[in-house]
Amino acid sequence: MSTKIDKIILDKGVQEYKSTKSILLQLRDIPVRTEKDDGSEEAPCVSDEMKMDMGKNTMHLVSYQGEFLKPCPGTKEYICCGYQILNVGTNCPLDCSYCILQAYFNRPNLRVHVNLEEQLGQVFEAIDSEPDKIFRVGTGEFTDSLALDPITRWSEMILKGFSKRKNAVLELKTKTANTAGLLGSKYRDRIIVSWSLNSPFISRREEHGAASLTRRLECARECQSEGFTIGFHFDPLIQHRDWMDEYRKTVDLMDRYIEPEGIIWMSLGSFRFMPALKPIIRRRHPETSVLDGEFVLGLDGKMRYFKPIRMELYAFLKELLHQWHPDLGLYLCMESNEVWQESMGWRPETSEGLRNYLDERVRNFFG
Amino acid sequence: MKKEINNITELIPQSVPLRNIDDSPGPCCMSFGFDLNPLIQSIERVGLINPPLLKRDNQGSITIITGYRRIKALKSLHTDSAGCRILSGDNILQVECLLLNLHDNLAIRKLNDVEKGMVLVRLIPWVKTLEIVDHYMPLLGLPSNKATLASYLKIEEEMEVQAKESIAHGQLSFRNAIMLLDIDSISRSSIIDLISNMKLTVNQQRQLIDYTIDLSHVEGRSIPDFLDDQSIKRINSDTRMNNPQKGRALIRYLRMKRYPSVSKAEREFKKMVSRLNLGEMVRIDHSPSFESPYYRLEVLFKDGPSLRGKLENFMREDIDSLRDPWKKKR
Repeated sequence: MSTKIDKIILDKGVQEYKSTKSILLQLRDIPVRTEKDDGSEEAPCVSDEMKMDMGKNTMHLVSYQGEFLKPCPGTKEYICCGYQILNVGTNCPLDCSYCILQAYFNRPNLRVHVNLEEQLGQVFEAIDSEPDKIFRVGTGEFTDSLALDPITRWSEMILKGFSKRKNAVLELKTKTANTAGLLGSKYRDRIIVSWSLNSPFISRREEHGAASLTRRLECARECQSEGFTIGFHFDPLIQHRDWMDEYRKTVDLMDRYIEPEGIIWMSLGSFRFMPALKPIIRRRHPETSVLDGEFVLGLDGKMRYFKPIRMELYAFLKELLHQWHPDLGLYLCMESNEVWQESMGWRPETSEGLRNYLDERVRNFFG
Repeated sequence: MKKEINNITELIPQSVPLRNIDDSPGPCCMSFGFDLNPLIQSIERVGLINPPLLKRDNQGSITIITGYRRIKALKSLHTDSAGCRILSGDNILQVECLLLNLHDNLAIRKLNDVEKGMVLVRLIPWVKTLEIVDHYMPLLGLPSNKATLASYLKIEEEMEVQAKESIAHGQLSFRNAIMLLDIDSISRSSIIDLISNMKLTVNQQRQLIDYTIDLSHVEGRSIPDFLDDQSIKRINSDTRMNNPQKGRALIRYLRMKRYPSVSKAEREFKKMVSRLNLGEMVRIDHSPSFESPYYRLEVLFKDGPSLRGKLENFMREDIDSLRDPWKKKR
């Protein structure tokens, strides 16, 4: 995947950050504009063109004033894994048709938080202040963890701090093959590199700009052989024609490339979305088939597959993956105990139960 | 603003031959989907009370600033001339005329959604977006945000007259019209025809649009082709049903097509419950789309003994047969 940045916007006052300088040096041939005080560089509301491309070719360097480390927004209606998000930036250069970010953020452009390095101290202070708690931290919720890494050098910046802490792990979640920065780093301990996977059909038709499944798995193999712990995420699982055969093909591919013993965890999550995302997907991806299924309103206000369909998807994947290796750290993302029990054969009872399960995986892998 | 504009009321109305007035809607007009008859009847009864305001340029051509409907009503009454106020000269800014019209309208009536869109589109070249959002949208009774502005501009600029008429006449809700913006005009027209024919409620309109767009994707058919479905035609032409019944039948049919598994589960559940002899005062319901793991038992009773009686009857029924409808029988 090659990121085609054709414009850079600088927020007021970001020029002095080390990251800004490094990014500008990387992208020295790209025109740079400075954000005006009145915010007029922001896309006007009426620009359909901007809404359609979401500013995926514009890198916007901002000084983020919110908290860098925040819990993943779960809901009490479903069981949540207690993940923490390190908010390095928002929006993503990939263009997956099902991506919730299309409706999640109201600001366009690839926003890079260039004050991250300066704020990392506070992040680690928060982690160190609770030594008995395990922080499972990821950068891949509001953007792809590695898609912009060749430009932003996020991995270079954050690996060291996590690698030397005993109560945290950092997960870099991606659909790209941008692992050069990681592989060049000397840090391995407590770093998890994970790939989002899907069926070849969905990957080919819906994950625009992402690396092919084979390429993702080649990278995963390389990372594994270079000493990284790896993870996988089948999220979103999408019901489509021949979905069983198609997902089986992906698991067959995994078998060809990956040593399952080195997988810390694999999540399964069926496609779910805020109702506001639907018209955006229809507009931006008119050929998509991700909306074809039977989606009903979930208890958290999001649309999700009708319960027995979700159970069938999970149970099928669970069985398939279990046959491959019985100890993959399989878990469901944002599901009810009922669905857990029916499809996985056990249930964590509470969000804390799931947290404990995953924390235990961390202890087993990293001590 | 020009001095005369600040003192409009001081302008003495002059008799203007109506044939000299260009009665096309013009750049200031913000009237759409109106019924001229009440105004015609009013003028017939009491005459023209408020004189229209016209603009005469240096070449002598006359356009309407305010009073488009009054001029139209007078013309349809075959009136030769009418007393009008006239602003003369080429140095009157279009935006000034536009604001005069806007305030004239706001003072006497409520604009429909199409007319609000007309106002906003006409303001865009002259007024900054932020000012439109902060000042003019509240004046029009609209929420002050850019997304709403964008929707109104799109409706005005992209919708066909047929669709706008449906909105202006309240047959098609504005929110539902926005849903139609993402499909082509032929598809739009076929959906609006159905909405108008069956006089669907706002909620039914939303469901019709949503299901139709989804099903046309799932089945790989165009929307007009999909709506040409025999079952839909049969519902539409069924003379035994009135419009509300047709609306409900249509939505029920589309929902079953769109959600076959959910519909099947609902039918199964209904069947399961109906096999129990619950009587009229006891109900068992499932959660919306069965998403919650729990079912609800509702018992109406007068007092303790009657509750006990109902519960004892209930316990004698085969309640062990109740299960999630997608699960095999125990």
